[in-house]
Amino acid sequence: MPLSAIQKVATAQNGVGAFVLPCKRITLRYCDWAGSSKGMNAYLKTQLGVFAKRNPQIEFQVYKKANDHPAITAYYLNGHQKSVNVKNMAPEEIREKLELLRNSSPEKNKRVPAKPVTSINENVRGIWSPFHGAKIKI
Amino acid sequence: MPSPHPYEALQSTKLSALRARLSLPQRFPLQTLARTLIHPSADPDPAFNNASLSVLGANLLGYYTAEHLLCNYPRLPMEVVFAAQNAYVGPRALAIIASEWGIEAAAEPGGEVEPGLLQFKRLRPGEGIPAALKKQVPWKWNVTQTHRIVATDEFGSPNAPPSPHSLASVPVPMEEAAQSFVRALVGSLHLHLGAPLVKRFFKSHFLSRHLDLSEMFDFRTPTRDLSRLCAREGFEAPVARLISETGRLSRHPVFVVGIYSGKDKLGEGAGSSLEEARFRAAAAALKAWYLYKPLDVTVPSSTEGELDTTKWKPNMVDCGEVIV
Repeated sequence: MPLSAIQKVATAQNGVGAFVLPCKRITLRYCDWAGSSKGMNAYLKTQLGVFAKRNPQIEFQVYKKANDHPAITAYYLNGHQKSVNVKNMAPEEIREKLELLRNSSPEKNKRVPAKPVTSINENVRGIWSPFHGAKIKI
Repeated sequence: MPSPHPYEALQSTKLSALRARLSLPQRFPLQTLARTLIHPSADPDPAFNNASLSVLGANLLGYYTAEHLLCNYPRLPMEVVFAAQNAYVGPRALAIIASEWGIEAAAEPGGEVEPGLLQFKRLRPGEGIPAALKKQVPWKWNVTQTHRIVATDEFGSPNAPPSPHSLASVPVPMEEAAQSFVRALVGSLHLHLGAPLVKRFFKSHFLSRHLDLSEMFDFRTPTRDLSRLCAREGFEAPVARLISETGRLSRHPVFVVGIYSGKDKLGEGAGSSLEEARFRAAAAALKAWYLYKPLDVTVPSSTEGELDTTKWKPNMVDCGEVIV
């Protein structure tokens, strides 16, 4: 056999062809008695429907947990989740938190190290080589 | 009831979220989407499971990948074509795609389960792999390359894969169920929305994935293959020449060797010995030949259902890889 093949699996490049939003599910927790849920209850009554209609790719779940602060949890495609405690927040602030969770990547927040950029694509200009081009005579 | 009633699909938030996530149009029914998530191991009734849809989807995926590879890379060796098929639409690739679409599995299939979950009968811990999933007898005992092309599946695999219909009520691993879902989804898209949309879906979700074909070659004797190739194509016999070197007597020498056929440089490689550099140069020359890509390719399926066939350009057909 002069040639054999190396088995691989094509890797995803989300957004190159189709874009799949990483956020797949958002759960909203509220309490119908405690004061810290006042803003959350107002948000659920007035604004959540609009937000859910604008984001059909996300599944929304609303549930009551008595005597507890309201919270939002987002679940992502890779199995990670992120939670935000939204106690005493106004509906407008809750909307901002929801958008933050919807737009964020599932990875943990981390510092971007000052490393050179790496790419899987071929270099357009080629890589400089000391072995090619004009020879320097010493 | 072994699987949820189709009526319940209309109430499922998971299903409508999945449909929107994949940018499928509203006219694609949720009941069908729910059916693609039911593996035959959960529901043996072929009217309610995805077996027939996944057979259709597997054929479509194999066809669209094959025409893409064969038209865009007409000189690709068959071994690499099979491996590339496996990389794009093989079982492992499809299972990964399903998880990237956010498919979650039900703990146990049943009529009361949320229809947006993947339903299949799980393998019990301690139980071996069921007989249907074990390696079957090969298609044929003396397998030739021609036989692999003509008679086996799109991956050139030595054994027949288990038929979806044969897995009714058989416990399966999640990978098997997830790949059947992706195939069934493609099959059902073809039935409900037609071929043009499936081609667009295939292009955006499958062909857009990154696969570097030049990393899939494993040459044993590249220098011999190259001299056979030059003899076959009527080029002058290849000659290796040293282009540049440094540190020949040091611990880390570097040699840059080019392979020439007459005055044309076919390939170039660098290595820490003359032999290594020559082999790399020959492999580079062979890859440059095998990975030739014509401009303006029209795939056969692009003329399906078209009345105007003037856009069609016949594709290049190569005589094949070097036989040593």
